[in-house]
Parts: sequence; structure tokens; C-alpha cells
Amino acid sequence: MPMVLLECDKDIPERRKHIYLKAPNEDSREFLPIANAATIPGTLSERGCAFCGAKLVIGGVLKDTIQMIHGPLGCAYDTWHTKRYPTDNGHFNMKYVWSTDMKESHVVFGGEKRLEQSIHEAFNEMPEIKRMIVYTTCPTALIGDDIKAVVKKVMKERPDVDIFTVECPGFAGVSQSKGHHVLNIGWINEKVETLEKEITSPYTMNFIGDFNIQGDTQLLQTYWDRLGIQVIAHFTGNGTYDDLRCMHQAQLNVVNCARSSGYIANELKKRYGIPRLDIDSWGFNYMAEGIRKICAFFGIEDKGEALIADEYAKWKPKLDWYKERLKGTKMAIWTGGPRLWHWTKSVEDDLGIKVVAMSSKFGHEEDFEKVIARGQEGTYYIDDGNELEFFEIIDRVKPDVIFTGPRVGELVKKLHIPYVNGHAYHNGPYMGFEGFVNLARDTYNAVYNPLAHLAGIDIRNEIPAQLPERIREAA
Amino acid sequence: MSTCEVAAVKPAEVKLVARDRGGIINPMYDCQPAGAQYAGIGVKDCIPLVHGGQGCTMFVRLLFAQHFKENFDIASTSLHEDSAVFGGVKRIEEGVMVLARRYPNLRVIPIITTCSTEVIGDDIEGTINICNKALKAEFPDRKIHLVPVHTPSFKGSHVTGYAECMKSLVKTIAKGGKPTGKLNVFPGWVNPGDVTELKHYLKEMGVDHHVFMDTEDFDSPMLPNKTIETHGKTTVEDIQASGAAIGSLSLARYESLPATKFLYDEFTVPNHLIDTPYGIANTDAMLRKISEITGKPIPESLVRERGIALDALADLAHMFFANKKVAIYGHPDMVLGLAKFCMEVELEPVLLLIGDDQGSKYKKDPRIEELKQTAHFDMEIIHNADLWELEKRITKGDLKLDLIMGHSKGRYIAIYNDIPMVRVGFPTFDRAGLYRKPTMGYRGAMELAETIANTMFAHMEYTKNKEWILNTW
Amino acid sequence: MEEKIEDLYGYVQERCLWQFFSRTWDRQENIDGVLGKAEQILSGQQPTNETPLEKLHYADAVIMVKDFRERFPWIRECGAAEVKQLMDGLKTRLVETVITKSTNRELSHHLY
Repeated sequence: MPMVLLECDKDIPERRKHIYLKAPNEDSREFLPIANAATIPGTLSERGCAFCGAKLVIGGVLKDTIQMIHGPLGCAYDTWHTKRYPTDNGHFNMKYVWSTDMKESHVVFGGEKRLEQSIHEAFNEMPEIKRMIVYTTCPTALIGDDIKAVVKKVMKERPDVDIFTVECPGFAGVSQSKGHHVLNIGWINEKVETLEKEITSPYTMNFIGDFNIQGDTQLLQTYWDRLGIQVIAHFTGNGTYDDLRCMHQAQLNVVNCARSSGYIANELKKRYGIPRLDIDSWGFNYMAEGIRKICAFFGIEDKGEALIADEYAKWKPKLDWYKERLKGTKMAIWTGGPRLWHWTKSVEDDLGIKVVAMSSKFGHEEDFEKVIARGQEGTYYIDDGNELEFFEIIDRVKPDVIFTGPRVGELVKKLHIPYVNGHAYHNGPYMGFEGFVNLARDTYNAVYNPLAHLAGIDIRNEIPAQLPERIREAA
Repeated sequence: MSTCEVAAVKPAEVKLVARDRGGIINPMYDCQPAGAQYAGIGVKDCIPLVHGGQGCTMFVRLLFAQHFKENFDIASTSLHEDSAVFGGVKRIEEGVMVLARRYPNLRVIPIITTCSTEVIGDDIEGTINICNKALKAEFPDRKIHLVPVHTPSFKGSHVTGYAECMKSLVKTIAKGGKPTGKLNVFPGWVNPGDVTELKHYLKEMGVDHHVFMDTEDFDSPMLPNKTIETHGKTTVEDIQASGAAIGSLSLARYESLPATKFLYDEFTVPNHLIDTPYGIANTDAMLRKISEITGKPIPESLVRERGIALDALADLAHMFFANKKVAIYGHPDMVLGLAKFCMEVELEPVLLLIGDDQGSKYKKDPRIEELKQTAHFDMEIIHNADLWELEKRITKGDLKLDLIMGHSKGRYIAIYNDIPMVRVGFPTFDRAGLYRKPTMGYRGAMELAETIANTMFAHMEYTKNKEWILNTW
Repeated sequence: MEEKIEDLYGYVQERCLWQFFSRTWDRQENIDGVLGKAEQILSGQQPTNETPLEKLHYADAVIMVKDFRERFPWIRECGAAEVKQLMDGLKTRLVETVITKSTNRELSHHLY
């Protein structure tokens, strides 16, 4: 089966190049969806902007850094209270956001003075904070404010502060992805190797592309502590600005999210010869494999096996309980990109779930190579899916649960399909062994949700004889 | 007024000041396009098309989903670099046609500008002319209203953006003609629960009306047949008829006045601006005004409803609320209305934070003048405020609060300073179901007071602070 | 032999992220590196891992070989010559799929 033109797309036939239904004996070199291409206006795409990819996804995770957004207040307002990435210092990153509150006069006469003033105010109001990232937005980029010059001036006047600039307005690129790229490359060019930290272990690594969603980073950190591995920098979950300046000191880069953060791993390899190891941190099987590879790299295989044995003993029986009850469940995954390929095989192997449809907001063709290689036949692989396409795909594949964002979750609720938050999780963390049991539990609770059965009943009809298809049991 | 103080007291002072920083730490409002989108989704068979980067739409849809726990359809022109260089009007044309082709019931497309497309200077009105021709050629039997909405993000806030889109919608769609005998009701940016309450009063009084926008179905059901009914209920016909109404009742100076003023200027529909009906006296004034406009008497049933509310408030006011210091932030119409409500129940709203850059307008607001006349305690009103103004007065200043009333974006101020907080306004995503409850009217006053009381009670219990008072209440 | 190569190819496609690095040269380097180490391990040699990259390819290879031996018991019986043939065949298949015939438009960008 080649690429698919859905009924709802008959007026935008170019969408055919973005939707693939995998059939036996095909592979991605024949049918690879076009990805990371411009969205058709008016399609109700799920995509965000490049600014969001830089600020909300990566920079805004840091727990000690002022996020100064140079533009009108909306870009700050919108990238605040829209993520679940706690920190171990009281969630500084989630509590505050900064805007230069650009007004019309700044558009006319330039906003550099306003930026300079706002930077000073921010440091003055919170004197204990010494690090900042400054972002441009659409209007400040269009009027050509030289934010680097402003930042240079401020850093001269305030020798104890360090500021990084991200010039990535919302209209850059086709999605969030562009913002990931700009931040990655900017950081390696300007900030890596500007600081050295104390090395406390013979084994050092960076953990790249994990943003501490509901404590992912903190859970995995317990593994690295037990293995005696020093994590130089978390890029960027529960991370600090200064840690990221020391990334060059690591012996190994372990990459989870290759889409948002593969760039910096590639550059660290090119410039410093630090090898890049890609792993999947979601799933038992995968997590164990990742730990084994890291330990094989450092020659500490025994420690790794002991850790895995401990964790399996503790969590595997719980996972298996859920697997028994989730076998054959049909799942759809509509998220950013990498979780498609991280999850499709892990939920299949660890939980017996079949992933029947996947849509990526900002994945590149590389992500589709990965997911098509791993994913099942009879499954839809969609780039930049839009609302009408979702309805049609649901009709075709009839998923029992959808992993997606809260807004789409509210939409599919009306179709009596439960959702689990595929971005921020329902009750995570979801990474690691314990985390995957959490994912299994949340999936079970969604699929075995008594309301779905009740929703299908019309009280004007006879009392239905049958019980719900799925009966909950004590977990 | 207390008489137990014998020492001479200095007269109470009400200050109106502006934020003294240029930058913002923790904004109180979103930007203009967000407000325009909120107005747009109130119309039936309408998908707003936001002309800007994709984030301007994606985040606002998420914001609405957070508040209402519902999905709303809003489209983007997905502006990219080439448009920044060569202009983006082609993307409007393409977006309009794609929407028209794929959504056969679509009747209204507000075309909402953003900071980027206003800076680029795209000609929205000219593009709409081109689109109208293309639509007519391809769909001769359909009429799709394209509404230009200019909402650069570097002016005002989501409050002014809402007002601007409301005005643009009536400006583009409203007609004059044979009088309908109906009353236009413009409540401003309120919750479905408020709309339901207002409609209840109008029904009790037998007043034929249109509410702009009728957002009741933003609280939409899960149905056996799986239909999705999450959308505004205000139709094109309703908006058309607004130009021939017996009058416009404008309940929000900053959110609805531009639209009702337009209806007066263009169609001489009498415009009645009243104080936003939060609390008992403001609701009284609203009902009297409706009675005055329509000639319909206020029925016994509403006298009883008022009495039920007063009865409930009387249990709480001087026992629990008196002398408690409150900060309120959010939309100016709501904050000023709630300040008056607070004083009715003996709470002391010592700090009001209202937003955006309309300082000169606020100075002329008679409600602020009234607060100056009536407040028996010191009050600070900060305009162009951000939430840091509130936080720093608590953490670095000497402000001692017993209660914070505001939306969810200020939740950490309450959480980290152990101050009871009642969520009001927009958005209130960290409490369940608030969009369904009224804050306006007698019922709104009663439910709000009870929520305040229960929040204080829970706080007394968690902090073991005189929780034993409630042993016998 | 073709069938055996196909089995191994299926495993790598499904499990190994190193084949899908961002650029052709990275993919080639990983395929050569990991399969080189795998060949040594499967032939009973102890690879020398001097550079960080070699250590990494070894780490990837050692896990893969363990899985090969579990999933495809026939591989335990293969001599050095056959192992080489298998790895060469696997390399050819992988290079074809993820490099020469891949339609991924980003594979040859000179920058990351």
C-alpha cells in the first residue's frame, strides 16, 4: 500500500505525500512521508512555532535561568504554565516568565533600550539569579533589534552575570523543530567550554534530550548515581545553565530525544570527539538495553546487570499484571515526533499493545525512517496531521486509547475515546522501569474507564444487558 | 464602619498607580490576538484564521482547552520566513479557500492579525476583497463572512483584542432594518456559567434578547451518538439582527463598549453601559436597567433569588469576612466589579491589579472614582500591572493578605506564601468546572462568597488556625 | 545465507538507532564500526577498543551480538568466514536502506 489520500484531503491532494499506511514487504526507502515541510494554511495543524521550540521545550527547562522574551507579552504568557517540568529547587522555571512587553513605540523606534532596561530590572528584582537567556520573537526580529549587542553591553556592566541569546522568531522554519536547532547550535558555538567543573567520577557523560517531564530526569539520575556515573550536564531536564557550559568535559553523550537535541550531540562529537549513543529511555526492554550499552562503554557491566536485576525484581511483576490486561489494546500516538518511534515497539513488547496510527507534529524524515522500521504493518504514519484527518483516521483504525495533548484529548473524549497526555503525561514519570509501570497504569486506567461504557448508553433505549467489555480489577 | 476605634484615624487613601518597570515578570494577560480568538469562537459555524506564526494559534487553543477542558477550532496561516520578506497575503487567500473547501458549513472567518503581520503590513482588507471574489466564483450558493480583525500584539492585551474582534464582527455582519424588539446583551469576556445566569434573568423578565457571544455550549456534553457540540451559539443571523435591536446592554466597559458604541453610531441602537454585575448592588442596577429599557417589571422570582443570596451572604460577612484583606487581579471590568462585591460582604480589597496600557482610560472610570469615595481602608490600584507587582508586595514588602482572588496564572504566589486563593476570571485551569459556575448576578455573588468561605475554612483546617471555630458553626 | 542476512537485517532495523543518525557519514561510520566489532566478537576475538568511538561501537555491538545469539541460535555455529559473509551482507543491506536509497532529504547537508 503506498501513500494515502484521505477523503477529507481531496481538496489538498499534496497531503498524500505525508500519510503512509504500512503494508507487508515495504520499507521506508520506498514510502517515506515528506516531513519538516511547510504546513498548508487553514488546515488546523497541531504545530507550534520555532520560538516555542527554543524557549518552552529546551531553554525554559533550566532551573536557575531568567527567560527574557523580547517581544509583546503574549509570547511569554503562552510559554508559561504549559509544561510539567519540575525542578529540585522549587520549580523556579515554572513559576516565572519575563517579557520586555514591547509596545508600538518600540516597533517604530526600536526595542533595544527596552530590552536593556528589562534585563537590568530582572536581575535587580531577583538579585540571586545570575543567568539569563534572551529570545527574539517575530516583531523584534522583523524590526531588526540587535539583541547580541545589548547583551554584550549588559554583561560588561554586570560582570557576574552570563547571558545567552536565541534569535529564533516564531515564523522561522516550519515548526518547533527550527527552534530546537537554533538553540542547540547557538549553545555549542557560544557557551560550551566556557566553564570547567570538578570531575568526581572516572565515568562521565551528558544526558541529552530529556526534559524532566514529571520527574523523568530525577528518576533516571537515581540509576546514574547507583552506577557511579557523573552526569556533567542534563540537556536540559532539572539542569543548570553552568552545567551546560561544561558539556565538553564528558566522555560520552547519551541521547534520548534525538529530534530536539541530536544537533548538540553531533557537534560535541565533531568538535570534541565525544561519541554519541542514542537510547530509548521509555520501556523496560529498551531502558535495560540503554543501561547495558552505557555500562559496556565504561566497562562496568556488572554494576549495570545488578541495577537491572534489582529494577526488574521490583517492577516487572507490576508491568506484567498490566500487560496481561492491556494485550491487544489499540493505541494511537499523536505527539511531537520522537515518541512515535520511542513508544511503538516498547508498548508492543512490554505491554502487548498495538499502535495503529501515529502522527508527528515536527518530526523530520529521519524520525519517519525510525518509526516505519520499528512500527507495525496496517498502521498509519502521518506527518503534521490535522483535525479532519484525525477524525478520518480514528474511523479507520478505531483506537482504544490515544496518547496526545490535552486539547486533542478533549476532542476525542467526545468520541468516547480516552486519552493519556503524551506530552506532559497523566501521572508520570514515564521513563525508566518505574516510569513505564506508570505509563502502563495510566493506560489501563484510561482503557478500563467505566465512563466510556456509560457514554455509549442512550437512556431512552432499553436498559443494556451487557456489562462493560472491560472490568477493572484491583491493581 | 467600626466605632470601637477612639484614636483619630487617617482618612482612607485609594491610590491609582502604574507598574514602574518597563519589562514584565509574569504577565496577567495574553496578547490581543488571543482575545480576538476568544470572541471568534463564540460564533456558530465560525473558524477564526489567525494570520501569524503557528504559535499564535496553537498556544491560544491550548489555553482555551486548559480553561474549558474542551477543544475549539482555530486555524493559522502558518506564516514563515518567505512571508516575512515578501508579505503573507497569499497565505490568507490559501487559508480561506482551504477552510471553505474542507468545512462546508463554515459561515464566518475572522481574519485575525498578529504582531508579525502588522509589522509586515499585510493588506487585510484588500486581501478580503480578493478572497470574496474567489469564494463567490467557487461557492456561488454560500455566503462566508470574512471579518478583518486588526490585533497587533504590541498594543493592549487580550482584553482589548476581545473588544476589537467583537467590534469587527458587528461592523462586518450587523444590519439595520425592521426593529426586532430584542435586547442586545454584551456581557464581555465571561464564563458560560455567567451567560446561563444572564439568560435566566432575561427569561424570568420575559425579555427577548441575543447574548453576544452566547458561549453556553462551551460546556458541552459527551453524547451517545458522539456528536461534538463545542462551539459558540451566536449565529450570523443573531449578529445581523443586532443592528435593529431595541437597545444594547453593555456590561463591560473595556470588553463590550467598542461594539455597542459602533451599533449606536451606525444604527442608532441605544447603548446602555452599566457597571459589570458582580455583587448585589450591581446586579440590582442591571435588573432595573433592563426593566427601564424594556418596560418589563422585575418579577417576584428575582426578588426571592436576591433574598436567597443575601441570606447566604449574611451568614458569612461579619462573622468570617470582615476586615479580611484581599488582592484581586484579572480583567479590569471583573476586578472593579468584584471589589465592590467584596465591600458588600465586608472584605477589604486592599490591592487591585488591572492590566494593559490604558492608564488614561482607567482614570476616567467612574467605578474607580466610586471606590475612592467609599473605601474605608487604604487601597492601591495598579494598572499596567503584572503579577510580580503582587508577589513582591508580599515577599519583599509589607502586604499581608488573607485572600487572593484571580486566575490560575498567579497560583504560585498563593501556594508559596500560604495565602488562601479563590480562582476567578480567565483562565482557571487549576480548579475543576469553574467555567460552569456564574460569578455574575445574585447566584454568582452567593456561590463566590461560599467558595471564599470554604477556601478560608479549608485553610484554617490545614494550618490548624482556629479551625475549632467551625466546631459549632 | 540470504535468509539469515534478512533475519539479522530485520533485527537491526527494528532495534538499532545507530543506523539512523542524522547524516550519511555518521550512518556509514556506525554501520562500519558496529558491524566491525560484531564480526570480531562473533568470530571469538576480543576487540581492542582504543578510541572513545571504538568503545561506543563495541558497546553497541556486544548488546546486538548477545541478542543475535539468543534470537538466531544458528549464528553460534558460524565460523569466521561465514560470520564475515553475514556481516558483509548485512552491511550491504543496511547501507542500501539507510544511505544510498534513503529518500531522507537531510542526509547530505554538510552542517548539522
